Formats: sequence, C-alpha cells, structure tokens
Amino acid sequence: MPSRTSPPSCTLLSVGQAFVGTQNVDHSGAMKEERWTVHVRIQGCDLRHGTLCGSMEALNVPAAESSVVTFWEGEIIDNINHTFFTEDWANPDTDLKHWSRFPSFAPLREAVNRDGGKGIDLARHSHVYMRWKEKFFVNVGPDCGLTIAGFYYLCFSRVDGTIRGFYYDPNSSPYQQLELRATTEGRNGHSFGCYEFR
Amino acid sequence: MGKGESSSKKVIGREDWEKRLSDVKIRKEDMNKLVMNYLVTEGYVDAAEKFQLESGVKPEIDLSTITDRMTVRKAVQSGNVEDALEKVNDLNPEILDTNPQLFFHLQQQRLIELIRSGKVEEALEFAQEELAPRGEENHQFLEELERTVALLAFEDTANSPVSDLLDISQRQKTASELNAAILTSQSHEKDPRLPSLLKMLVWAQNQLDEKVSYPRINDLVNATLEDPV
Amino acid sequence: MPASARSRPEDIVENLSSGDTSARLKALRDVKNQIIGNRSKKLCYIKLGAVPRVAEILASDTETNLLVQSAAAVGSFACGIDSGVRAVLDSGCLPHLLNTLSNGDERVVEAGARSLRMIFQTQLAPQGATFFRSGGALENILRLLASANDDISEVAASVLARCCDFPEQRAAIAQAGALQGLLHLLTHPNPRKVETALDAIASLTRNDEQQSRALLNAPGNPFLTVIIPTVKERSGKSRLLACACVANISRTCPEYGTERTTGPPGSARDVAAAVISALVKLVDCPGEAGEEAPSVLAHFIADSEDLQKLACDADAIGKLSGKLAAGSGVLTPRHRENIFHALAALCSTREEGRRQLVESRALLPVISGLEDAAPGVRAAACACTKSLSRSVKNLRTSLVDASIAEPLFKLLGDPDPSVQATASATLCNIVLDFSPLRSQVVLDGGGVAQLASLAHSMDATLRLNAVWALKNLLFMADSATKARVMREVGYPTLAALAQDPEDGVQEQALMLVRNLVHGKPEDIEAAVRPETGLLEVVDRKLASGARPEVCVQALYVMVNVATGTEEHKERVMATCTPSVLGRFLADESNPQIRVAAVWVLINLTYSKGGNVRSRIERLRRLGLDAQLHKLLSDPCSDVQDRAKTALEQFHEALQPLPQPSVQMVSAHIC
Repeated sequence: MPSRTSPPSCTLLSVGQAFVGTQNVDHSGAMKEERWTVHVRIQGCDLRHGTLCGSMEALNVPAAESSVVTFWEGEIIDNINHTFFTEDWANPDTDLKHWSRFPSFAPLREAVNRDGGKGIDLARHSHVYMRWKEKFFVNVGPDCGLTIAGFYYLCFSRVDGTIRGFYYDPNSSPYQQLELRATTEGRNGHSFGCYEFR
Repeated sequence: MGKGESSSKKVIGREDWEKRLSDVKIRKEDMNKLVMNYLVTEGYVDAAEKFQLESGVKPEIDLSTITDRMTVRKAVQSGNVEDALEKVNDLNPEILDTNPQLFFHLQQQRLIELIRSGKVEEALEFAQEELAPRGEENHQFLEELERTVALLAFEDTANSPVSDLLDISQRQKTASELNAAILTSQSHEKDPRLPSLLKMLVWAQNQLDEKVSYPRINDLVNATLEDPV
Repeated sequence: MPASARSRPEDIVENLSSGDTSARLKALRDVKNQIIGNRSKKLCYIKLGAVPRVAEILASDTETNLLVQSAAAVGSFACGIDSGVRAVLDSGCLPHLLNTLSNGDERVVEAGARSLRMIFQTQLAPQGATFFRSGGALENILRLLASANDDISEVAASVLARCCDFPEQRAAIAQAGALQGLLHLLTHPNPRKVETALDAIASLTRNDEQQSRALLNAPGNPFLTVIIPTVKERSGKSRLLACACVANISRTCPEYGTERTTGPPGSARDVAAAVISALVKLVDCPGEAGEEAPSVLAHFIADSEDLQKLACDADAIGKLSGKLAAGSGVLTPRHRENIFHALAALCSTREEGRRQLVESRALLPVISGLEDAAPGVRAAACACTKSLSRSVKNLRTSLVDASIAEPLFKLLGDPDPSVQATASATLCNIVLDFSPLRSQVVLDGGGVAQLASLAHSMDATLRLNAVWALKNLLFMADSATKARVMREVGYPTLAALAQDPEDGVQEQALMLVRNLVHGKPEDIEAAVRPETGLLEVVDRKLASGARPEVCVQALYVMVNVATGTEEHKERVMATCTPSVLGRFLADESNPQIRVAAVWVLINLTYSKGGNVRSRIERLRRLGLDAQLHKLLSDPCSDVQDRAKTALEQFHEALQPLPQPSVQMVSAHIC
C-alpha cells in the first residue's frame, strides 16, 4: 500500500491522457538547434507499483523519413517502489545532475543527496518525478535514425499538467530536452476514458 | 528517443569463455551420480554394481528391483507377453490398472505374437474378446487395432504396409513403455537425466545466440568449442 | 496358453469357492490377471458375483498366497470403476482388508495396504467417512496408526489423508485425537512413516483454519521443531508435504505472520523464504513431489504479492517454464495444470513476473494449454493467460504473436463453467485499444456479438465479465467501433445493465457509457439523444444516492458529455446534476467523488463564448463557487489543484478578454 509520502493520484496523469510538445537538441551553438514535435499517450498507470507506460511519437524529425512511434515504460519516484537513484541505467551523480535541472527539485536536492530523500513528503510536493524508458519501436525498425538506448528524467506539474524532461544516453547528443503539456485533443473540456485489467 | 548511436551484439572471446567455463565447479560426485542414474534407468545391473564398487556412488534404488524389471522387459522382448503381464501384476497391480495405453499396447503385442506364430483363429478370437472393447473406449486404440488386424489380410506380411508391427523394434517399443511405467511406479524417473542435459545445452546456446557471440559447442560428441563468428 | 484351454469365467468364479486350495489359488490368479487393466472383464466378473467370493477368501483363508492374491484382486476391482468400488464395499471386506495389515507376512501387508489405498483414492470417499463413523473403525485406524509395523501405520495415515475432503470429516478425525498420533509419527526414524504422517497432517489442515491453528499451537511445538526443519531435509515428498503444512498455516492463520517483512532471524518471513526456495527446487524432483510442488507453491503465494516476489526472486518461473519447455507432452495433465496454476499466481500482480515468463518462452505451452483435452488444464492455462494479459506491453507484443484470441473465444462456449468464467475475464484484457488483437478477432470475428449475448447471461460473473470486456473494448474506440458495439448490444440493454441488481455490473455499465461519450461531439450525441434514455438513467443514479463507486462513474459520464457542444453542456445543466453537485463536493469520505464533481464544473465553464456566462451565473446561484473556494484547502492535492482551475475559469469567463490559465492545445494524437 502506498504510504503517506508517495505522490497521490492526479487525474491529468491517468490512462488515456494525451500530451503534446517538442523535443530539442542543443548542439552547443556549433550548429543550429534541432527540434521536433512529440505526442505522448499514457496507456497504463499503476500507482501501487509506481509504474506507468504509454506511446511516444516523434514527428518531423530532421533526417527521419516518417514519424517514429515507440512504446515506453515508466517509473514514478515514490520512495516505495522507486527512488531518485536509478537502478541500472545511470549512476547517482548523473541522477542528481539531471534532477537538479528541474527548478522544483531545488528544495529536495540536499535531502536526496544526503540519504536518497527517504524522508521527503512527496504527497505534498507540487511535482511528480518519473523516469521513462523506451522498450521498442512500434512502427519502424531500429535503423530509423533515432535511438532508444537511453531514458528520460521527467518532472510533471500536478497543477497545470505540463511535463519537462531530459533524455539521457551517454552515446546520444547531449541536452535533449522534452517539453509536453496535457491536451484536450480539440474537445471543449477534459474528457476521461477508462479501462481496468481484469 | 534521442539522436545518437545504438550498440550491437557483444562478443566473448575463446580465452575469456574458457576461463568462465573453468570457473564453474562441478563435483565429481555429481558426475558419478549422473552415470549411475543412466545405468540404473536403462537397467544395466552388472555395470551399475561394478560402477558402485569403483566410484562408491550409491544407486538411487534397490538394485534387486532392477532385476525384476529386467525380467519383465526380457519377457516382452522375447515375445512372452502373457508371462510379462503376470509378472508385472505380481510386482504391482496398479501399474497396468492405472495405465490404459500401456495395457492396450501389451495386449496388442500379444495379438502380434499370435499372428507371428500363425495362430490365426486364436488371434481373431483374442482380438475380438480382448482388444475390440478397448477400441470402443478409445478411438486411437481402434485405429491401432485395425492396423494390427490388417496383418491377417496380407499373404506376404513382410512386404505389407503394416510390416513394421512384426519388426523386432515393435517389441522394443512395447518393452520400453513397460519399463518406463515400472520405473515410474517405483518413484523413479523414467528417462535418464543425461540426454535431457544435452537438450538443455542446445537450448541454452540458442538462447544465448540472440544476445552474444561466444565459442559454441556444435559437435556434442566431442564437445569442441568453435570460435565465435 | 491356447484360447481353447482357457476356462470360462463362470467356471473360474465357481472355482473361487472350491474346496481345493490350489484350485482356489489358480482361480484367484486367473481373475486377477484378467481384470487388471480390463474394464469389461471387471464388469463381467462383478456380474458373475466374483467379488463376494474373493472377499470370502480374504475373510476366512489364512494361507499367504491366497491372502496376497485376494487382496490384490479386491484392489483391482476397486480401481477405475465406481461399480467395482461399490461391490467391494458391499462385500463387507473392508474390515478383513484392515486385518491383513496385522498379518505376519510382509507381502500380505503390502498387498492389503495397496488395496486399501486404492479404495480410499476413489470418488466414493464419503462412503469412507460413513465407515469411519460406524463401528469404531476410526478408532481402529488410530490404533493402527500407532502400530510398530511401518507399513501399517503408514497405510493408516494415508487412509486418514484420503478422508479429509469435507470439514465434517476433518472435524471427526481431529476429535478422535488423530493429530496427536500423527505428530507423534513425525519423530519416527523411518522416513516413509514421517512422509505419510505429513500427508495426513497436510490434508487435515488444508483450507481449515481450525485444524491449522490446532497444528500451529500443538503442545511441544512440533510445527516449529519438526515440520519446519523437514522443509529442508528428507525425501522430496516429505519436503513437499512439510511445505504444504506451512502454506496451510500461512493462508489461514494471519497471526503466524508470513507477511511481516521485519522480524527476528528465523521468523515466519524467513520460513516463508525457505519454503519457497524448497518448493522451487522440488519442481525438478521426479514423481509426485515434482508434480505437486507447483500446486503447493500456487496455493502458498496466491494472495500475497510479497510471497510472489520471493518466488520470482528464487527463479520459480525459470524452473517451471523449463519443465514445460522440456516437453509438455510428457507431463501428465495434472502436472501441466499445476504448473499453469503456479505460473498464473506468479504473474498475477507483478509485471516483473510477466516479463520473466514471456522471456522464458513458456508462452507456447501455455497457449496450447488453452486447447487441452482436460478441462482442468484449460482452466489453468486460461488463468495463466489472464495473468499475462494484465500488461500493456504483453498485449502489444508477445500475446499478439501467440494468437490467443481465437482459442479464448472458443473457451467462451466451454462445457466447464469455470473455464468460461476465466476465459471471459481474460477477454476483458485482450480487447483493449493498444492490443492489436482487438481489431484482429473481436471486430472481424464476431466476438462483439458473443460478448453482447453473454451480457444477458443469468450467471452474474459471466455478465460482469462481458460488460467489463465491452467497456474495455470501447476505451479510446473510434466512432465506427462504438456504433458497431452498440448495434450488437442495444441501448435498452445497456440502460438495463446500468440498473442491474449487481452493483459491480452497474458500475461497469456506467464506465461503458463513460467510454461511449469520450470522443467527438457526434459520439456524445449518439449516446445521449433522448431516445436512448441513457442520460436519464445516469442522472437518476446521481439523484438517488447510489453507492459512491457508482456515483463516481456517473459523474464522469457527465464530465465527458460536457466536453461536447454548447448544447451538450446545456443538456447536462438541464439534468439534476448541478443541483446535487454540492453534495458530492462536500463528500469528505471520498476524494475521488470530489475530484469528479470539480471536473464537471471545469467542463461546464470551459469555453470562451456561447452560454458560458449564463451557466456560471446559474452555478453560482447554487452556491457552487463558494464550495470551490473551500476546496482550495482540501486534503487531496488533486482536488485542490482542480478547484483552483475551476475557480480561475469562473472568474476569467467574466473578464472582458478570457484566457484559460491552463493552456490546452488541441492536437490529434496517434
């Protein structure tokens, strides 16, 4: 059972919710900045296990022939199932470096650095921190010009449904930043579909 | 997803592989048990006794039960099916009472032996009385029965499409099935472990092929390592 | 022996009562060898009255060979046919069989013991219980339990083990003091004796809280000092049975504390880990121990995610699927069934378990198990498929390649009701939007019609599963799919399901409506036009104070309808929803209801033109803005955040240049 410190559910972070935004690559001034459109849909969310999953589509990627759709699985930092420190894919320094890029993380930084942030009351925090790891390409082969070897550090704002993220992969161009916002998909308000596993 | 490179399959060289292999310690005792398991399961009593003296490994079951099992097996192999039936029933009545397929195959073998010795009338009577009711209970049995009775329809059975039933290998098949059932009734595995270990080796290598390149064993008899491609 | 030389059955039966001992013996052997494995011969000899004559030999003869052969013949009569068991019981030979256990010759004891076991393994076990209650037979068995002869006490214990199917039987056995006798046997040096005692103890405590507690608290702590150590020692069968005892206690006595994750070394938690590790090792054990180990494991971990994790960490899935991969054809149906049940339990809650199973390549045996001849195997394979399908990833990948939809739909018509129930539950998962199986079979293969007709089932579970599956099928569905489903289901049926006597069905039906109106204005219009009567039914739920779970779903129907056109928003305004919203906003017991109610307000005030100002006026008159203000300090942050958005919209709509604070960008997404 989630303890009082885990992030509570948020209706903007539930199954069926769509997000839209951009990912950009900063080539440190040497070249012009690259940027493409990203659509995300949450397809599964299991707060008890601190996991979620969904699809991500990249449109108009420079040098890619078509849009690229991937399937990802995510971990919600809840200090029960997942902590701020990544288990297999990164070391604590990399973790801290990336989390620290989110302004909302500033008040948590010291505690996380000290003891992993065990005592932080995530239930009262304004943001939800996550990692998303893409598992496979849905519509293209692995030679589509993009790689899914890395993963995203993400920060979701419970108040307005925006997500900021950084893509981390030692072999990829550095500073790939993701910016997403919850969308109503053209409706006159927020609509909620639902499903449950049996 | 991001812009950048993605990696390819990992390669493990021969030296590294051999070092890893030698790091796995297998006790001699376990190897001996494996050999004993093979001898006992296959019914090599003399060999098992000698091996016990040499290696000090205790067989998993009482060796005298092997003798009983081998007597039954030999009876089938030499065509004395009725004899085998009575011996099995004395050994443990549950074996044939709880295994309809084996029971049918033994009765079928009895029929084959009757046909082989030219006792046509007796064979027909036996088929009708003993085997036909089994065929009514089970469709697969009926098909096998029909094939067996077909032996009587051919002048030259050796060149008939059902000649395989008269072959010595048919006796072997029935004998092995009976042997396995006796082993099971003695709470023993009916197959030796060695062949399934080899199957597992092949399977494990196939699994590994998808992830890494490594020195593979293709020649199972000599277990030679071949350099990764 | 030539056929002509063979005696007629009538003559053989006659000879069973011959005055000449060697003739009797020959007749006995003939009967035995003819009936073993042969159903029709058994029936024939039963008809000729052979059983009472054999029983007579057992009762009055003393010669070893005669006793051995007659005991064996009786056992064979009782094997495989009910009329045989009845004939044996009617012949009154049970007491004489029991007497063979006191014979001086080991061969007689062994033959008698085998026959007794045969009788007590049959479906006619209740007759065994009757035999127990009458004539002090139970006391007799308990006396034999204490016998110095290992074979005898062993059979006594195994007879007891076979008489534990019903609570009354277990109570009678316990009352006679059997547990003490059995526990005493546990300390015996003979391992087979220990084994059968454990067998009886495990049968006595299975799903029986009273007996489990009696074992846990038995004087002298034999559970702690004898049974638990057995988990690691002795024969495979003993280890298995000791594990079963621990599992029984763990499932029925919460005070034992297997679930406690902290405790001193050697605590129940450590024992649980040891039991799981032992069970996983036993999977490779030959014979009955290996066959039953998966079943005990499944029973042990079924309700505990924590124990499931322990089992996964002990590589249970690798071991079990290795067994399957080695050739499911050579495993008995019972063995396959047990393995599938264990895998189903291992994958029921944890994605890691599902991942391991898929990677182990046990998928094919599981899928082919759906079409097994044995109903038990089909049900177990189906349970396993259900566990596997509780994963978005599997639905997108491995389960697609395995083409499971077709066999599953076939199982909806299975003669076994439990198979039907599990199959319909599994379908709930595989019809989801992101599962390619949805379009493959459900829409092209007539599956919708099948589910629609199941929604009329008299069986509440099947009805629930059907509505659940249809709801999942409509999650994120396009207009054509929605129309297709509603053509099959019909609005009157849907309205009736929303008022089903079962609360669970009601809730699912409302979620189905919620998915119908999640989409384009045309989708909303199709569902809420007055002819369907749906909006009225939903509205009545809110007005009549239905259960909170039902109200949440009804509110989300309103939330979704209010994302349509101005007219749809006005239609929500025209229901009694606005007037009851205040009650839901003030419902302190359930944050989910409060959030849903706030979302209704957000969507009713979400637009720049049209009637929004008028709507806000009407909502204010109901005092709802004041209630929203209170929610700014709600204990649930989701409620707080949403209330803030709603209030901003209340204010901004009245400003000259309205700008929603949350920037909602429209986009069409894959």
